[in-house]
Amino acid sequence: MALPLAQELIFGLVIGSYIALGAIGFTLVYGLVNMINFAHGEFITIGAFVGYLAVVFGGVSLPVALVVALGVAAVTGWAIARLTFEPMNDAGAVPLLLMSIGLGLVLRNGMRAIAGPDRRNVPVAVTTYRFDDLGFFVTSNQLFIIGVTLFVVLVLHLFLSRTMVGISMRATADNERLALVSGIDTRQIRNAVWLAASGLAGVAGVMLAVSQSANPSVGFGQLLLIITAAILGGAGSPYGAVAGSYLLGVGIAVSVAFLPADIVALSSTMAFAILIVVLLVRPGGIANTEVRTS
Amino acid sequence: MSRLELPAIDATRAGLVLFVASIAFLYSPIFIRPPSGTFVFLELAVLFLLYALILIGLNLQFGHTGLVNFGPVAFFAVGGYAAAILTANDPYRAVGLGFAWPVGLVAGVLAAVALGVLLGFSTLKLRDDFLAIVTLAVAEIIHGLTITFRDITGGSIGLQNVPRPIADMTGGGGGAELFATIVVLGSVCLLAYGVFHRLSASPYGRVLRAIRADEQVTETLGKRVFRYKLVVFIYGAAIGGLAGALLVFYNGAASASFFTIDVTVIVWIGMLIGGAGSDRGVLGGLALIMGFQLLTRFFNDLLPFVTQDQFASIRLVLVGLLLMLVVKYRPEGIWGTAEELEVES
Amino acid sequence: MTLLAVDSLHRSFGSLVAVDDVSFEIEPGEVVGMIGPNGAGKTTTFNCVSGVLDSDAGTVTFDGEDVTNVPAYELARNGLVRTFQQTRELSTMTVEANVLLPTPAHPGERAWHAITRSEASQQREREAREQAMELLDVFDIRSKADEYAGTLSGGQRKLLELARALMLDPTMLMLDEPFAGVNPTLTTELVAHLESLNDDGLTLLIIEHELETLTDLVDRLIVLTDGRVLASGTPAEVTSNEEVIDAYLGN
Repeated sequence: MALPLAQELIFGLVIGSYIALGAIGFTLVYGLVNMINFAHGEFITIGAFVGYLAVVFGGVSLPVALVVALGVAAVTGWAIARLTFEPMNDAGAVPLLLMSIGLGLVLRNGMRAIAGPDRRNVPVAVTTYRFDDLGFFVTSNQLFIIGVTLFVVLVLHLFLSRTMVGISMRATADNERLALVSGIDTRQIRNAVWLAASGLAGVAGVMLAVSQSANPSVGFGQLLLIITAAILGGAGSPYGAVAGSYLLGVGIAVSVAFLPADIVALSSTMAFAILIVVLLVRPGGIANTEVRTS
Repeated sequence: MSRLELPAIDATRAGLVLFVASIAFLYSPIFIRPPSGTFVFLELAVLFLLYALILIGLNLQFGHTGLVNFGPVAFFAVGGYAAAILTANDPYRAVGLGFAWPVGLVAGVLAAVALGVLLGFSTLKLRDDFLAIVTLAVAEIIHGLTITFRDITGGSIGLQNVPRPIADMTGGGGGAELFATIVVLGSVCLLAYGVFHRLSASPYGRVLRAIRADEQVTETLGKRVFRYKLVVFIYGAAIGGLAGALLVFYNGAASASFFTIDVTVIVWIGMLIGGAGSDRGVLGGLALIMGFQLLTRFFNDLLPFVTQDQFASIRLVLVGLLLMLVVKYRPEGIWGTAEELEVES
Repeated sequence: MTLLAVDSLHRSFGSLVAVDDVSFEIEPGEVVGMIGPNGAGKTTTFNCVSGVLDSDAGTVTFDGEDVTNVPAYELARNGLVRTFQQTRELSTMTVEANVLLPTPAHPGERAWHAITRSEASQQREREAREQAMELLDVFDIRSKADEYAGTLSGGQRKLLELARALMLDPTMLMLDEPFAGVNPTLTTELVAHLESLNDDGLTLLIIEHELETLTDLVDRLIVLTDGRVLASGTPAEVTSNEEVIDAYLGN
């Protein structure tokens, strides 16, 4: 007997996985640095290219490539943030937003100028497990992507709940001024946030390189979906971002399966429509954060 | 800022006079045909004037009122498509209703206003940076819709056979059409600048700047803040829609490639370079950024070993760098006032 | 007739009850002080009365009309004007523009008048400017008229805020800690200004953290603790009230 929706659910989990890795970082930056980082997609792209280079030219296995991308993207993203965003930390939300747009343009087109617009596939051996009786299949790649994401979410949870830096992070997100007076080193936290956010973006990049391709706009293409997931989960809440991502991923996969082919191209358009509806109806997302002026 | 004495030449009056004169020029048998070597500049000038219209609205929204509208291209696109769909005669695989162009012009503005009302009512209570995201998303949605519903919009091929009233009224072919278009659009632009400048330089503009500075205080001083924000959003939408309609009547076509996020990027960067809130400064900024793009186009010919795609990328890298430098080192722009924007430079 | 009547006002933020049950009345021409420890709900009460926040329950009546949850701009136009705890001058605008901003019924604030530069608009602007200059004179900041409000000293900002509120020709002024962070000389000056305004018939409701400044100025004190009115009466009555002493000393 075929299980209804099983296949869509798998596709949805895969889409949700790389959105989640992007959205966690995005939402951490939003909650702790108080900025909307439009260059977050480019951190993902960096990861995609690093992963591609590691596999194709470095000849390493995918898990190793993943670790390399995590490290390179984390350090690169952190260094870029120190150079660009940190010096104008007090300038307010809109100047930081504009800064990130400029940075995004530079990084995206810089990579395009060097690597060209081509889509580069990461060659990995794929095994497909078929469950024809149940009406779905799943590939080793898909299992890998979902597995890595779940592992990362688990590590993140342990980090936020068991380590000093993680606990301080949550405290700072709740109330920055209070955190400051209670002796939390917010500079250290910001460093940790940038490292974590861009590192996770790097991991997301490798996954996108594997399931789609490495190209200069691979991360940018995910940006609005990531923002949607983060807002859906309540901007600033990492757990909410994970929930929002999977909700969005499954939503997209199911709608693709059931809507006429013409409308399928609209799936990302619909994601943006969801974003707007969420902001209007329940602007705080699942966790109900404050995004209105008064 | 609210000086009531009239400047020596008033842009609104000059714009009106010039507009009447340009219409007379269109109906007259006279035409001026510039040499073909200038076409590349003239075409850019037309685009500059259209973007300037969008920017005049955007500057009222962001520069004066502080509304972070990241989707000005949405209104440009809606105005353009509404005008094109209503007026196109037998477009290639798209909907064309064949009405006369004035119907399209009015419809273009009205469609953009309708979007402005809808979006304004629903989103203007959001915080600055979220308003930015919503407007950006709306622009992407509109772009997505125009590509998806290609039976109506012609998709990426676009809508052909849209009337070209200025070209039809001008004898003398390509160059003369361009010249006449620039004269007409130039006067429209001057008029729009004059009208919007009168708004911003009046007690009306004072309320807008107060809203940018502190909404709550403005409200407690007896001003209907939401009403002002909504109306300003709609004015910007209307002028963006007008620019869109004028674009399709100039091109004789509408296509998704005219209405990409690049338009938003260019007008925003022009505004920031010039100095948000400075009515003349922003237009200067737009001229600078578009001039910069023209200049780099010539460089491409000088560097044969760089491919066109690479060159386009490098150009965008430079645009991005420029944006970063302005935001960081001169946040008030070239002609803006640091104290008015509350920035340190 | 009572000018302002607040009846059983209630407002909470999530699980935090900021204003539990506040009722009080203010007669025309009175100067009333509202005191209480931090977190007693003074500012929230102000916010609910002035329309900056919506209240959860209770009614506010001003000048005989029910104005519960009426938007702030409407209250300001009807003569109930408030200031904020932290001075909120519009620092990106000139001192003159700050004072001109509240000008009521200004045709030039409508688009059509602004675009046509109508005579009505220019006339109103001239009148408003005259009034503004007089006010700036009264508060001794006329020489700063063309400077950005952001360049003023802390004390001058307080004066500017007061001048700005007076442009609305209010019946009643609600001041949120007007003496906070103000040096003694300026405090005396501010008190003199407020007394003279009150002599001209302006009703005043003043939040203050410290009692000392208020006792000479006010006719009556309202004491809030934990979102409730603890006591109300003349300064002498209130300062001898056991409960009040406990609340203050216990804090």
